[in-house]
Amino acid sequence: MSDEARKPKDAPQGGAVDPRLLEILVCPVTKGPLRYDRERGELISERAGLAYPIRDGIPIMLPEEARKLD
Amino acid sequence: MVRRMIADRDPSDSTDFGFREVPRAAKAGLVRQVFESVAPRYDLMNDLMSLGLHRLWKRAFVAAIGASPRETLLDLAGGTGDIAFAALEGGAGRVILSDVNPAMLAVAQNRALDRGLAAGLSFLCADAERLPLPDRSVEKVSIAFGLRNCTDKDAVLAEARRVLRPGGRFHCLEFSRLEVAPLVPLYDLWSFRVLPALGARVAGDRGAYEYLAESIRTFPDQETLAAMMRRAGLERVAWRNLSGGIVAIHTGWRL
Repeated sequence: MSDEARKPKDAPQGGAVDPRLLEILVCPVTKGPLRYDRERGELISERAGLAYPIRDGIPIMLPEEARKLD
Repeated sequence: MVRRMIADRDPSDSTDFGFREVPRAAKAGLVRQVFESVAPRYDLMNDLMSLGLHRLWKRAFVAAIGASPRETLLDLAGGTGDIAFAALEGGAGRVILSDVNPAMLAVAQNRALDRGLAAGLSFLCADAERLPLPDRSVEKVSIAFGLRNCTDKDAVLAEARRVLRPGGRFHCLEFSRLEVAPLVPLYDLWSFRVLPALGARVAGDRGAYEYLAESIRTFPDQETLAAMMRRAGLERVAWRNLSGGIVAIHTGWRL
Protein backbone atom coordinates (compact mmCIF):
# COMPACT_ATOMS: atom_id res chain seq x y z
CA MET A 1 0.00 0.00 0.00
CA SER A 2 1.36 3.39 -0.94
CA ASP A 3 1.70 6.29 1.47
CA GLU A 4 -0.98 8.15 -0.48
CA ALA A 5 -3.51 5.35 -0.02
CA ARG A 6 -2.93 5.19 3.72
CA LYS A 7 -3.22 8.92 4.27
CA PRO A 8 -6.55 10.38 5.35
CA LYS A 9 -7.85 12.99 2.90
CA ASP A 10 -7.32 15.96 5.20
CA ALA A 11 -3.86 14.96 6.38
CA PRO A 12 -1.26 17.67 5.84
CA GLN A 13 1.38 17.12 3.20
CA GLY A 14 4.56 15.71 4.70
CA GLY A 15 2.72 14.17 7.66
CA ALA A 16 1.33 15.64 10.85
CA VAL A 17 3.81 17.82 12.72
CA ASP A 18 3.77 18.42 16.43
CA PRO A 19 1.94 21.77 16.73
CA ARG A 20 3.94 22.74 19.82
CA LEU A 21 7.13 22.36 17.81
CA LEU A 22 5.74 24.45 14.94
CA GLU A 23 4.95 27.21 17.41
CA ILE A 24 8.56 27.75 18.42
CA LEU A 25 10.55 26.93 15.27
CA VAL A 26 12.42 29.76 13.56
CA CYS A 27 14.52 29.89 10.41
CA PRO A 28 17.98 28.48 11.21
CA VAL A 29 19.59 31.06 8.90
CA THR A 30 17.83 34.30 9.87
CA LYS A 31 16.34 33.16 13.23
CA GLY A 32 13.24 34.91 11.89
CA PRO A 33 9.64 33.65 11.76
CA LEU A 34 8.34 30.81 9.61
CA ARG A 35 5.00 30.36 7.88
CA TYR A 36 3.50 26.87 7.78
CA ASP A 37 2.20 25.93 4.33
CA ARG A 38 0.00 22.97 5.16
CA GLU A 39 -0.87 22.23 1.51
CA ARG A 40 2.74 21.78 0.48
CA GLY A 41 4.03 20.55 3.82
CA GLU A 42 6.63 23.28 4.03
CA LEU A 43 7.86 25.88 6.46
CA ILE A 44 8.50 29.12 4.64
CA SER A 45 11.17 31.62 5.63
CA GLU A 46 10.40 34.71 3.54
CA ARG A 47 13.52 36.53 4.67
CA ALA A 48 15.85 33.67 3.73
CA GLY A 49 13.83 32.84 0.61
CA LEU A 50 13.73 29.19 1.64
CA ALA A 51 11.00 26.59 2.07
CA TYR A 52 11.94 23.85 4.53
CA PRO A 53 10.26 20.51 3.81
CA ILE A 54 8.37 18.36 6.30
CA ARG A 55 8.93 14.64 5.82
CA ASP A 56 7.20 11.92 7.84
CA GLY A 57 6.08 14.61 10.25
CA ILE A 58 9.63 15.84 10.86
CA PRO A 59 10.58 19.41 9.91
CA ILE A 60 13.84 19.24 7.94
CA MET A 61 15.42 22.53 9.00
CA LEU A 62 18.53 22.26 6.83
CA PRO A 63 19.18 25.11 4.35
CA GLU A 64 20.76 22.66 1.93
CA GLU A 65 17.57 20.58 1.86
CA ALA A 66 15.27 23.60 1.49
CA ARG A 67 13.56 24.71 -1.71
CA LYS A 68 14.64 28.15 -2.93
CA LEU A 69 11.73 30.54 -3.32
CA ASP A 70 11.47 32.55 -6.55
CA MET B 1 50.06 6.49 16.79
CA VAL B 2 48.33 9.45 15.35
CA ARG B 3 48.99 9.62 11.64
CA ARG B 4 47.34 12.95 11.15
CA MET B 5 48.50 14.61 7.96
CA ILE B 6 50.28 17.89 8.29
CA ALA B 7 48.28 20.32 6.26
CA ASP B 8 50.25 23.00 4.43
CA ARG B 9 47.21 25.10 3.75
CA ASP B 10 45.37 27.37 6.12
CA PRO B 11 44.20 25.12 8.96
CA SER B 12 40.87 26.95 9.06
CA ASP B 13 40.06 25.40 5.66
CA SER B 14 40.23 21.87 7.02
CA THR B 15 38.88 19.89 9.93
CA ASP B 16 39.24 16.46 11.49
CA PHE B 17 37.50 13.41 10.06
CA GLY B 18 38.85 10.68 12.25
CA PHE B 19 42.62 10.92 11.79
CA ARG B 20 42.28 12.46 8.37
CA GLU B 21 42.21 16.15 7.62
CA VAL B 22 39.37 16.92 5.25
CA PRO B 23 38.06 20.19 3.82
CA ARG B 24 35.62 21.73 6.31
CA ALA B 25 32.88 21.70 3.71
CA ALA B 26 33.28 17.94 3.25
CA LYS B 27 32.98 16.76 6.85
CA ALA B 28 29.20 17.01 7.21
CA GLY B 29 28.67 14.90 4.10
CA LEU B 30 31.20 12.29 5.22
CA VAL B 31 29.64 12.08 8.68
CA ARG B 32 26.20 11.77 7.10
CA GLN B 33 27.40 8.80 5.05
CA VAL B 34 28.78 7.15 8.18
CA PHE B 35 25.50 7.46 10.07
CA GLU B 36 23.30 6.53 7.12
CA SER B 37 25.38 3.40 6.85
CA VAL B 38 25.31 2.50 10.53
CA ALA B 39 21.76 3.65 11.45
CA PRO B 40 19.98 0.27 11.21
CA ARG B 41 22.52 -1.47 13.47
CA TYR B 42 23.62 1.52 15.52
CA ASP B 43 22.12 0.37 18.80
CA LEU B 44 23.48 -3.16 18.51
CA MET B 45 26.91 -1.79 17.59
CA ASN B 46 26.95 0.54 20.58
CA ASP B 47 26.43 -2.44 22.83
CA LEU B 48 29.21 -4.41 21.18
CA MET B 49 31.64 -1.50 20.93
CA SER B 50 31.30 -0.45 24.53
CA LEU B 51 30.61 -3.92 25.99
CA GLY B 52 27.30 -2.53 27.16
CA LEU B 53 28.93 0.30 29.09
CA HIS B 54 27.20 2.95 26.98
CA ARG B 55 23.95 2.09 28.77
CA LEU B 56 25.50 2.92 32.14
CA TRP B 57 27.08 6.10 30.78
CA LYS B 58 23.79 7.26 29.31
CA ARG B 59 21.93 6.46 32.52
CA ALA B 60 24.41 8.57 34.51
CA PHE B 61 24.10 11.31 31.89
CA VAL B 62 20.29 11.44 32.01
CA ALA B 63 20.42 11.53 35.80
CA ALA B 64 22.87 14.44 35.58
CA ILE B 65 20.54 16.32 33.21
CA GLY B 66 17.70 15.80 35.68
CA ALA B 67 15.05 17.50 33.52
CA SER B 68 11.91 18.17 35.56
CA PRO B 69 8.23 18.09 34.47
CA ARG B 70 8.33 21.87 34.06
CA GLU B 71 11.36 21.84 31.78
CA THR B 72 12.04 21.38 28.08
CA LEU B 73 15.12 19.43 27.06
CA LEU B 74 16.65 19.90 23.62
CA ASP B 75 18.67 16.77 22.87
CA LEU B 76 21.13 17.50 20.06
CA ALA B 77 22.56 14.74 17.87
CA GLY B 78 19.83 12.73 19.57
CA GLY B 79 20.21 9.88 17.10
CA THR B 80 18.05 6.88 17.81
CA GLY B 81 16.62 8.39 20.98
CA ASP B 82 18.39 6.83 23.96
CA ILE B 83 18.79 10.11 25.85
CA ALA B 84 15.45 11.62 24.83
CA PHE B 85 13.46 8.54 25.81
CA ALA B 86 15.21 8.06 29.14
CA ALA B 87 14.75 11.75 29.97
CA LEU B 88 11.02 11.56 29.20
CA GLU B 89 10.62 8.38 31.20
CA GLY B 90 12.58 10.07 33.97
CA GLY B 91 10.07 12.89 34.21
CA ALA B 92 11.14 15.58 31.72
CA GLY B 93 8.15 17.72 30.75
CA ARG B 94 9.07 17.98 27.13
CA VAL B 95 11.88 16.70 24.92
CA ILE B 96 12.86 17.87 21.46
CA LEU B 97 14.89 15.12 19.84
CA SER B 98 17.07 16.78 17.21
CA ASP B 99 19.46 15.17 14.76
CA VAL B 100 20.93 16.23 11.44
CA ASN B 101 20.31 12.79 9.95
CA PRO B 102 16.78 11.75 8.94
CA ALA B 103 17.83 8.07 8.83
CA MET B 104 18.67 8.15 12.54
CA LEU B 105 15.42 10.01 13.33
CA ALA B 106 13.41 7.39 11.44
CA VAL B 107 14.88 4.71 13.71
CA ALA B 108 14.05 6.93 16.72
CA GLN B 109 10.41 7.35 15.57
CA ASN B 110 9.97 3.59 15.35
CA ARG B 111 11.57 3.02 18.74
CA ALA B 112 9.33 5.69 20.31
CA LEU B 113 6.27 3.90 18.93
CA ASP B 114 7.51 0.59 20.31
CA ARG B 115 7.97 2.16 23.74
CA GLY B 116 4.62 3.94 23.66
CA LEU B 117 6.24 7.36 23.89
CA ALA B 118 4.45 10.23 22.19
CA ALA B 119 3.30 12.86 24.69
CA GLY B 120 5.91 15.56 25.17
CA LEU B 121 8.19 14.23 22.44
CA SER B 122 9.00 16.15 19.23
CA PHE B 123 11.31 15.16 16.39
CA LEU B 124 13.40 17.77 14.64
CA CYS B 125 15.93 17.51 11.84
CA ALA B 126 18.42 20.31 12.39
CA ASP B 127 22.10 21.18 12.22
CA ALA B 128 23.40 21.78 15.73
CA GLU B 129 25.58 24.58 14.33
CA ARG B 130 22.48 26.45 13.12
CA LEU B 131 19.55 25.71 15.38
CA PRO B 132 16.01 26.64 14.27
CA LEU B 133 14.99 27.70 17.78
CA PRO B 134 14.65 31.18 19.26
CA ASP B 135 17.02 32.65 21.85
CA ARG B 136 16.27 31.59 25.43
CA SER B 137 13.71 28.94 24.54
CA VAL B 138 14.69 25.81 26.51
CA GLU B 139 15.83 24.97 30.04
CA LYS B 140 18.24 22.17 29.15
CA VAL B 141 20.40 21.23 26.19
CA SER B 142 22.15 17.89 25.93
CA ILE B 143 24.44 16.25 23.40
CA ALA B 144 25.62 12.68 23.90
CA PHE B 145 28.30 11.21 21.64
CA GLY B 146 27.52 13.88 19.10
CA LEU B 147 29.83 16.83 19.49
CA ARG B 148 32.84 15.05 18.01
CA ASN B 149 30.93 14.51 14.76
CA CYS B 150 30.21 18.21 14.35
CA THR B 151 32.40 20.26 12.03
CA ASP B 152 32.37 23.50 14.00
CA LYS B 153 32.22 22.55 17.68
CA ASP B 154 32.53 26.17 18.82
CA ALA B 155 29.42 27.03 16.78
CA VAL B 156 27.50 24.17 18.41
CA LEU B 157 28.44 25.35 21.90
CA ALA B 158 27.50 28.95 21.04
CA GLU B 159 24.13 27.82 19.66
CA ALA B 160 23.48 25.69 22.75
CA ARG B 161 24.09 28.72 24.94
CA ARG B 162 21.95 30.96 22.73
CA VAL B 163 18.83 28.76 22.96
CA LEU B 164 19.19 28.20 26.73
CA ARG B 165 17.16 30.35 29.07
CA PRO B 166 19.20 32.13 31.74
CA GLY B 167 19.52 29.57 34.52
CA GLY B 168 19.54 26.79 31.94
CA ARG B 169 22.22 24.16 31.73
CA PHE B 170 24.18 22.48 28.94
CA HIS B 171 25.28 18.84 29.26
CA CYS B 172 27.73 16.98 27.06
CA LEU B 173 28.54 13.26 27.21
CA GLU B 174 31.49 12.42 25.04
CA PHE B 175 34.55 10.24 24.76
CA SER B 176 37.44 11.85 26.53
CA ARG B 177 40.97 11.02 27.68
CA LEU B 178 41.52 7.79 29.56
CA GLU B 179 43.26 8.69 32.81
CA VAL B 180 44.34 5.18 33.79
CA ALA B 181 47.69 4.80 32.00
CA PRO B 182 48.11 0.99 32.35
CA LEU B 183 44.86 0.47 30.44
CA VAL B 184 45.87 2.59 27.44
CA PRO B 185 47.44 -0.22 25.33
CA LEU B 186 44.38 -2.40 25.83
CA TYR B 187 42.09 0.50 24.93
CA ASP B 188 44.13 1.14 21.76
CA LEU B 189 43.92 -2.49 20.76
CA TRP B 190 40.18 -2.43 21.29
CA SER B 191 39.64 0.80 19.38
CA PHE B 192 41.83 0.26 16.38
CA ARG B 193 41.80 -3.53 15.91
CA VAL B 194 38.65 -4.96 17.43
CA LEU B 195 36.17 -2.17 16.63
CA PRO B 196 36.75 -1.92 12.88
CA ALA B 197 36.62 -5.73 12.63
CA LEU B 198 33.32 -5.74 14.54
CA GLY B 199 32.01 -2.98 12.28
CA ALA B 200 32.93 -4.96 9.18
CA ARG B 201 31.28 -8.10 10.46
CA VAL B 202 28.14 -6.77 12.17
CA ALA B 203 27.34 -3.58 10.30
CA GLY B 204 29.08 -4.40 7.04
CA ASP B 205 31.08 -1.18 7.07
CA ARG B 206 34.63 -1.26 8.38
CA GLY B 207 35.36 2.29 7.24
CA ALA B 208 32.52 3.76 9.26
CA TYR B 209 33.78 2.16 12.44
CA GLU B 210 37.38 3.13 11.74
CA TYR B 211 36.07 6.70 11.56
CA LEU B 212 34.18 6.29 14.84
CA ALA B 213 37.26 4.91 16.63
CA GLU B 214 39.52 7.62 15.23
CA SER B 215 37.08 10.43 15.94
CA ILE B 216 37.05 9.36 19.58
CA ARG B 217 40.80 9.93 19.80
CA THR B 218 40.90 13.27 18.03
CA PHE B 219 38.22 14.76 20.28
CA PRO B 220 39.42 17.41 22.77
CA ASP B 221 40.37 16.11 26.21
CA GLN B 222 38.59 17.13 29.44
CA GLU B 223 40.39 20.45 30.00
CA THR B 224 40.27 21.49 26.35
CA LEU B 225 36.52 20.94 26.03
CA ALA B 226 35.91 22.81 29.29
CA ALA B 227 37.90 25.77 27.90
CA MET B 228 35.86 25.70 24.68
CA MET B 229 32.65 25.78 26.70
CA ARG B 230 33.86 28.78 28.69
CA ARG B 231 34.80 30.55 25.46
CA ALA B 232 31.24 29.98 24.23
CA GLY B 233 29.96 31.90 27.25
CA LEU B 234 28.94 28.98 29.45
CA GLU B 235 29.69 29.47 33.12
CA ARG B 236 30.59 27.34 36.13
CA VAL B 237 31.86 24.70 33.72
CA ALA B 238 32.58 21.34 35.36
CA TRP B 239 33.18 17.76 34.32
CA ARG B 240 33.05 14.29 35.76
CA ASN B 241 34.88 11.25 34.38
CA LEU B 242 33.13 7.93 33.91
CA SER B 243 35.00 4.63 33.53
CA GLY B 244 38.37 6.26 34.20
CA GLY B 245 37.89 8.99 31.62
CA ILE B 246 36.93 6.84 28.63
CA VAL B 247 33.98 9.22 28.64
CA ALA B 248 33.25 12.42 30.55
CA ILE B 249 30.16 14.44 31.37
CA HIS B 250 30.74 18.19 30.95
CA THR B 251 28.23 20.73 32.21
CA GLY B 252 27.96 24.49 32.04
CA TRP B 253 25.31 27.08 32.84
CA ARG B 254 23.88 30.01 31.02
CA LEU B 255 23.64 32.55 33.80
